[in-house]
Amino acid sequence: MSDLATGWRFQRRVIGALMVRELVTRFGRENIGFLWMMADPLLFAVLVGILWRFMKGPEEHGVSIIAFIATGYIPLTFFRNAVTRSIRVFTVNSSLMYHRQIKVLDFVLVRVLIEAIGATMAFLFVGAVLVALGEFPIPADIGAFVGGWLLYCLFTFSICLILAPLSEMSDVLEKIVPVVTYIAIPFSGTFNMVSWLTPAAQNAVLYSPFVNAMELLRYGIFGPGIDAQWDITVPLAASLVLTLIGLSMCRRIRRELVVE
Amino acid sequence: MIVCEKVSKSYPMGRGRKHVLKDVDLEIRPGEHIGFLGRNGAGKTTFIKLIGGVELATSGKIRRQMSVSWPLGFGGGFQGSLTGYDNARFIARIYGYEYGDIRDFVEDFTELGPQLKMPVKTYSSGMRARLAFALSLAIEFECYLIDEVIMVGDSNFQRKCHYELFDKRGDRALIFASHSTDLIREYCNRAMVLHGGTGTMYTDINQALEIYASL
Repeated sequence: MSDLATGWRFQRRVIGALMVRELVTRFGRENIGFLWMMADPLLFAVLVGILWRFMKGPEEHGVSIIAFIATGYIPLTFFRNAVTRSIRVFTVNSSLMYHRQIKVLDFVLVRVLIEAIGATMAFLFVGAVLVALGEFPIPADIGAFVGGWLLYCLFTFSICLILAPLSEMSDVLEKIVPVVTYIAIPFSGTFNMVSWLTPAAQNAVLYSPFVNAMELLRYGIFGPGIDAQWDITVPLAASLVLTLIGLSMCRRIRRELVVE
Repeated sequence: MIVCEKVSKSYPMGRGRKHVLKDVDLEIRPGEHIGFLGRNGAGKTTFIKLIGGVELATSGKIRRQMSVSWPLGFGGGFQGSLTGYDNARFIARIYGYEYGDIRDFVEDFTELGPQLKMPVKTYSSGMRARLAFALSLAIEFECYLIDEVIMVGDSNFQRKCHYELFDKRGDRALIFASHSTDLIREYCNRAMVLHGGTGTMYTDINQALEIYASL
């Protein structure tokens, strides 16, 4: 037991050090520094929100357009960035394999974690500003929001665990990932609630782990009025399966990894 | 103690594989100094990387019952876009040392002064070697892996390395790959000659050097 505790303490220190290293490399120490990590989701959420506000009016299905788009775009941007950052992550970081306490898994974890923290900061910032402007409801159920967001992050992480080793095996992946993430947007739950769709479409999108997580997340913000529907076993089960596959792929890739 | 049993390493090459090491055995006891000899491409660096756990063996087992440094060479172990100080901070964090202690040692050992505030990619290879050496000597290991790097740097640096490594830490185990016959003769208890994927251990250093010279 104490071995496990020591190991965990050690691993936490490694992950902390890797995060600082990554942040310094990416953002430097100048001007706002680490705060840059929320810039991307924040800008997407605000600018696309404003765009839709002018295209479609202030409300749709009884919810504020800006708030709805912001709650959709922050997770979507997080997902796209996490996926992009996972491509070739082992090769890029291979010089770190000189230190045995660093595991390949840490690379994926650290990059997804940084994107997740940035997106969470963006949520808080956008939420605070929009609530002050009267464009955003006071969250109806914080627990549901956090639960939905954690499920979304968990499923994204499990996808990255597979994409990272896969991108080392084949160069094709790097080329098709952007278009696939674009095509998959209808299954991301970004732009609509399930209840707005036709019954046939509802059945289809409810198989998507993202949609189930997004419904829960939005329920947490907008409350029962939006008629959210979700089943947390969908994202949980999907994440579990993908994580197991991803872990064994990472293990295989580690054996083959060539370090300069 | 470090035990390598039937260690093999191969890399994909075209349609087949290139076998660099084939069933090599090696046992390193505390305090032993072992030299690796072999022509360029014989697998010295590869073997050191396997012992250090940087790359994993294709087959065979490596058991480490003492703490082993990362392989000390020209490249690996630090990030070029970060400054010397940032690299020191990173090493201190992941090995659980006080940054202040590491920083003082690095400043003193490298004598790089303000250059430590610059990204490592701006360093010359001699300066890199100084930093690499300082960082791994700042962490106490029971076994140090050294790949050739002793040979670079000016005489002042070489003197420092010899003092820190062979005098102050003479009780530690040491594995080093080198083409310098003087160095091997002076400091090694045993030497392994790597040739054609196999490793042969000699307890008589002069015999090992003769074999090496005849390759």
